[in-house]
Amino acid sequence: MKLQVVRARAERFGGIVELTRPRALLHVDREMMRALGQPESPLWSDDSEGPLSAPREVHVVLSRRCAAGCKGCYVSATPDGTALGYDEACLILDELSAMGVFHVALGGGEALELDYLFAVAAHARKVGITPNLTTSGLGLDGHAALRCSVFGQINVSVDGVGASYQAARGFDGFRHAEKALRLLRAVKPEVGVNCVVSRSSFDRVKEVARLVKRLDLNELELLRFKPVGRGASLDEELTLEQSKRIYPLARYLMLRHRVRVKLDCSFAPMVFFHRPSARAAAFFGVQGCVGGDVLAAVAPEGHLMGCSFAGRAEADARVPGAMQQAWSRGFGEFRDFVKSAPEPCASCDYLQLCRGGCRAVAQAHGPFMSPDPGCPTVRAHQQRRLLPVVRAADA
Amino acid sequence: MRLRRGRVLQATFGCNPNSSSLGVDVTFLLFGASFASALAIVLGALLRKAPR
Repeated sequence: MKLQVVRARAERFGGIVELTRPRALLHVDREMMRALGQPESPLWSDDSEGPLSAPREVHVVLSRRCAAGCKGCYVSATPDGTALGYDEACLILDELSAMGVFHVALGGGEALELDYLFAVAAHARKVGITPNLTTSGLGLDGHAALRCSVFGQINVSVDGVGASYQAARGFDGFRHAEKALRLLRAVKPEVGVNCVVSRSSFDRVKEVARLVKRLDLNELELLRFKPVGRGASLDEELTLEQSKRIYPLARYLMLRHRVRVKLDCSFAPMVFFHRPSARAAAFFGVQGCVGGDVLAAVAPEGHLMGCSFAGRAEADARVPGAMQQAWSRGFGEFRDFVKSAPEPCASCDYLQLCRGGCRAVAQAHGPFMSPDPGCPTVRAHQQRRLLPVVRAADA
Repeated sequence: MRLRRGRVLQATFGCNPNSSSLGVDVTFLLFGASFASALAIVLGALLRKAPR
């Protein structure tokens, strides 16, 4: 077996190389970069710790436009919402390519509603970036499915099977989603399901895993419900018991159905609560909030942010050079959590990996830099009430 | 003297289509640290043979 390196970029620790088969991003040390024939980098004279020289991937929210009107939509999409124009999207991709970004996740809103989506994806390919897509699958026909071969991975949002879909999203779209999955799977193998796990859908996730198996899809991604956008008005965050059970459930689904199961970065505290091997977690890139470091987001209004769920606008991504400038000096609200972490994160063995959990959930409940209130360890810490001080004179 | 030939420090597989799924690949995490170490060695060896 021979690996094919298609792109590489230098970092302080060495560099990141992209492989096509297997599709992977590898962080390697400086010696390996030299062994691969990569040129010496000025970054290699810097032994300090710091963020990556650029994000590894960027979530480009192409629009807040979607006819579905899901009740928990985190970008509050509407049928006539804002969208990045084709030229703007291409300019942004050009700059991301110059920065060395490997992947973009295109989404919305419903990106398929934009007639220039495939042209944007083709442009990403042209400048060396792998475009990936998340879609509801609504309106996808055979012709559009064929055109989807331009994407790397495509995931269709399925938060439940049958009536559970309607209960989770507020409209009856399961048949459309299932049809889209079948059409896409006929075109390419890199098709999976995104499933938002909420308090009321938790017990139905098994049905979605069975669907992934039945349709021979390549992954099931479980995404934590976040109280942002229209979701802020819903009381759907996981209970403490569900938070403790999500990682064992994911393991069970993987073993039971032999499907690849992934949990999004906001689930990191729930995973580290079970004390997995920190070395394995570090090697496989299992991390909590990677906003403003591994990941960045561009909003339809052009704002460059650390994450598409939270954070302030650091630059106008449509202005040439603005993203590169902002990357080196901004994103302190994401990057500084570890060094200023409050308890119980400060004394947690997994702080460097977990990074305090999800900033979007933290912000929904209090200060941006506070520990993730959904973390079982944080909940236990908060429940330990300080005993009142009783002075000798009062006794 | 041991010859340093370079190491693989981290490996993430597949592509991420989501805004927030850079998290936990349960499939790999399940196998633990020994598997990670072995995989690092294998990937390192294969990488050195990769066409330039």
